[in-house]
Amino acid sequence: MSTLALRFAGPLQSWGVASRFAWRTTTSTPTKSAVVGLLAAALGWERDADLSDLAALRFGVRADQPGVRVRDFQTAHHGDTGVSMPLSYRFYLADAVFLAAVEGDDQLIEALHAAIKRPHFLPYLGRRSCPPSQPVNIGVRTLGLNEVLRQEPWLASEWYQRRERRTRVALDMQIEVAPGTRGSDLQRDQPVTFNPRHRRYDLRAYHNETIEITNPHGKQVRENPPRQAVTAHPAHDPTIGLEAV
Amino acid sequence: MYLTRFRFNTARTGARRLLTSPQILHAAVMQSFANVPALPDGNSPRVLWRLDRNANNQVLLYIVSPDRPDLTHIVEQAGWPTTGSWDSFAYAPFLDKLTAGDIWTFRLTANPVHSIRTRDGEPTKRTAHITVRHQLGWLLKQQERAGFTICEQPKELPRPTDMDEYQVVVHDRRSLDFTKKDPARSSKINNVQILTVTYDGRLRIDDPDKVRAVLTTGLGKAKAYGCGLMTLAPAQ
Repeated sequence: MSTLALRFAGPLQSWGVASRFAWRTTTSTPTKSAVVGLLAAALGWERDADLSDLAALRFGVRADQPGVRVRDFQTAHHGDTGVSMPLSYRFYLADAVFLAAVEGDDQLIEALHAAIKRPHFLPYLGRRSCPPSQPVNIGVRTLGLNEVLRQEPWLASEWYQRRERRTRVALDMQIEVAPGTRGSDLQRDQPVTFNPRHRRYDLRAYHNETIEITNPHGKQVRENPPRQAVTAHPAHDPTIGLEAV
Repeated sequence: MYLTRFRFNTARTGARRLLTSPQILHAAVMQSFANVPALPDGNSPRVLWRLDRNANNQVLLYIVSPDRPDLTHIVEQAGWPTTGSWDSFAYAPFLDKLTAGDIWTFRLTANPVHSIRTRDGEPTKRTAHITVRHQLGWLLKQQERAGFTICEQPKELPRPTDMDEYQVVVHDRRSLDFTKKDPARSSKINNVQILTVTYDGRLRIDDPDKVRAVLTTGLGKAKAYGCGLMTLAPAQ
């Protein structure tokens, strides 16, 4: 059992789960269907290929730098006729960094690692207009998914790490679990087929977890001294000893 | 002479109107005298007033005046018309008791200014003292003419800076910015900018007559705008 670790960093990313029609929303972390699709593309598989191998991988993701949600208002016209297409709102995560990992048997993971180093179709971050700004490939680890997500160093940008200041930071993770596990959440991003004529997704169960990780640029934050009571004005009553009239 | 104290009901709109413009508050104070006060000549007692903002809900107006004021109109606009009023105290007996060598705590809100020119040959211009150091220096410069001495810090107490040499604090430094009508041309509106600071401390009386004059005629500039009124309270 080994795990392939991937870095998703880019100016814009967009991870749609249930968007239809004109509002194309994004979840706050990469989806399994997007990552499986990215790996299948790296292998050079066609859209209608059998996905069962890749869909069986166990998937987890860590939000190293959550990013900011931005909205794009998009107009488009038909290339030939000039007829205006429906106006749409597209949502992106700006300036986000994620650590994603897939766990599977050694041979498949090695094959995926080789493919991601020399991808047949280039990877993109959820939408084709969102190229990665750093290499997606981090490498293969001979560890389980949970250990990899716990042990990989923090991938956030240096400016983000400096801004965080504390030496330990808490990161949110989503780790795939067996369907029906107590306390799990569901998301419809388990790919069945990417065939453009009948794309299908199943529900996937995952756990939300938080881990503490070392911040290499953290500083020991000095405890603020207890606040001194503000010295009030000296009380002053000039009427003491005067005779009321 | 009378010393009068009135407490504002700061929740009322009328109080805010009076407290935000020294021009309007000055007019309200002057209108509390049935006989129009004589124009100040600098030597005879005049109407002086001061705002003590001790807390958000404790804003006090002190007035020292030759005649007894009637603050009914201010109570109606900015006080508690049925349960609150103002208190007037006889000030002359207190002034008569002042003797040289007495130690009192004092409070003074003043407008510390000096006249400077930036280039030779230019007319001088009245300019506010901005820093605490200069504002304290202004008070120390006034004290000889005013007949008192600010008490020095006892030798055994620490003096971390040279500002701690005297038993006085400078606080409540605020710059006031408000408008007034030009008396010569009623259509014109002038902008008034003054800087006020409040001094709290202990003083020793050297010359009771001079101190009496300061307490009744005021110290420094902008006396119409709540500056220059010094009051004394017993020192512990």
